Amino acid sequence: MGLQPRRDKRMSLPDAVSAVGDGAMIALGGGLSARLPMALVRELIRQGRRGLHLIGSAHSIDVDLLVAAGAVRRCEESYVGFEQDLGLAPAYRRAAEQGSIEVAESCCATILAQLRATEMGLPFLPVRGVRGSDIARLHPEYAEITCPFTGERLVAVPALRPDVALLHAPAADRYGNLHLAQPYVLDERFASAARTVIATADEIGSPGEIAAAGITIPAHLVTAVAEVPFGAHPSSCYPRYGYDRSHLHEYVAAAQAGPDEAGKYLDAYVYGTGTEEGYRAAVGPARLGVLAELPGTTAGWKELFA
Amino acid sequence: MSWTLDEWFVVLLARTIRPGETVFHGFGSPCAQVAMHVAKRTHAPDMILVEGAMYAIDPDPPFIPPTGNDASLSRGAAYSMRFEEFFDAAVRGDVDRMFLSGGQIDGYGNTNVTAIGPPGRPKVKLGGGGGGCNLAATIGSLTLWTTRHRSGRTLVQACDFITDMGHRTPLGTRADLGYTGGGPQWLVTELGVFDFPAGRARLREVFPDVSVEEIRNATGFDLEVAGDLRAARPPAPSELAVVRSLDSLAVRKSEFSADELARTFTERQGQACAC
Repeated sequence: MGLQPRRDKRMSLPDAVSAVGDGAMIALGGGLSARLPMALVRELIRQGRRGLHLIGSAHSIDVDLLVAAGAVRRCEESYVGFEQDLGLAPAYRRAAEQGSIEVAESCCATILAQLRATEMGLPFLPVRGVRGSDIARLHPEYAEITCPFTGERLVAVPALRPDVALLHAPAADRYGNLHLAQPYVLDERFASAARTVIATADEIGSPGEIAAAGITIPAHLVTAVAEVPFGAHPSSCYPRYGYDRSHLHEYVAAAQAGPDEAGKYLDAYVYGTGTEEGYRAAVGPARLGVLAELPGTTAGWKELFA
Repeated sequence: MSWTLDEWFVVLLARTIRPGETVFHGFGSPCAQVAMHVAKRTHAPDMILVEGAMYAIDPDPPFIPPTGNDASLSRGAAYSMRFEEFFDAAVRGDVDRMFLSGGQIDGYGNTNVTAIGPPGRPKVKLGGGGGGCNLAATIGSLTLWTTRHRSGRTLVQACDFITDMGHRTPLGTRADLGYTGGGPQWLVTELGVFDFPAGRARLREVFPDVSVEEIRNATGFDLEVAGDLRAARPPAPSELAVVRSLDSLAVRKSEFSADELARTFTERQGQACAC
């Protein structure tokens, strides 16, 4: 799809997500515990998407929840888990071990090169490393080439063009200009490589406010934008709110207990809530308020993680 | 003065950093994360510290949080790199050292963070390697670590899956494969410290409460021992002070079993001993 003309791209979350088809290749923005597009993920699950091909760098509850809901066919991230703190990703792990999803584990710089190839209109780019790693065996699409100038043997990786990029921003305007805080992770690369970019923002502000804050991703790359407060929860979206470690812990414990308990989490926080308004009510305004107070003081910041 | 194994372990990781190096750690690596700040605030003040998943240069975090990309980790940073700025720098050879761990590590320093058992149908699916399989080829030196040596399942004869490449894989040596970086230089475990003088792990230092026999029994590859095997050098008060003040949430402890956390040491007549 070409560049998007300047127009009002505000949509409801369900309407924005309805453009995503079953089987789509989806790039998930953010990473680890930061700025994951969780409202978009929850809405995909509510709408019953199936057979998704997820790509990304290092991810956690976004991928795990989609896998738990049975929405995923193939995972192509560099990492899925909850770091040293909360451990392996329970649904992802179970599905990989049972063979119910394909895991084509990848590597951060490789995915970056594959997205850049798309951005540059090239069919492939060479990368360093990978040769000698078993990661190459998970990717029959890679090839080895000889550099015509130096004679070096390098691994060529094909351009990766996601059907949809799902991104969350702390602030956007109605045209889809997105302001992000670091870490941007791969969001900028996803935005220019994907056919369609669907964004949520905690707040839609005036174009002047977003321009003053700084446009990280320009409107001409964005197809739709929906205002969803706390749309990254339980991940963080600085400077607005920190990540919700205790909620992540609640999810991981449920998912570890097995598919039934994971299903109860999905009923309580995704299906049962109906909408993101319902989700925020289920999490509770008091809890969200605590997350949004940060970072006020070091002591308060620390308390969240204790 | 007394100290615990987890504190000492972090200090030993910190000492693998040479002054002036540009150093990076991945996510899910609390011990390495704390160690980099220990080095920066003690023997390597001029190092360039790249804070893991924030890609923040020389930050001054108020504490180390339990997640790798919280904004607390970039507080006071000179600059926050974009993801691609960091990976480009690492791939072109501008990063001197990276810390890497693994669910399995072999004698060549290959590591597995992908899966235990056959990769098509793994017994345990691990989280994955992040940027390792590109960066292990190009970063100047690697410091490997594990806190699970004693399990007997971590230092193995051969990894079930090679995520990040060491000095030699079944496809050849680093020279054969055209890698531009130097590969594993140190392997720090909760039992001792290994170097890689000829591309193979060699036991260089031991903790005072561990015997070489215990280490041999816990090691799946043939144990080579340095002729001048040394006792690990105790932490200096200045090093311990950084560990304790910076890691006030004690995230480093999440890497250790309860038994290892109970190991305490003290200095008597200039010798470290277990107590």
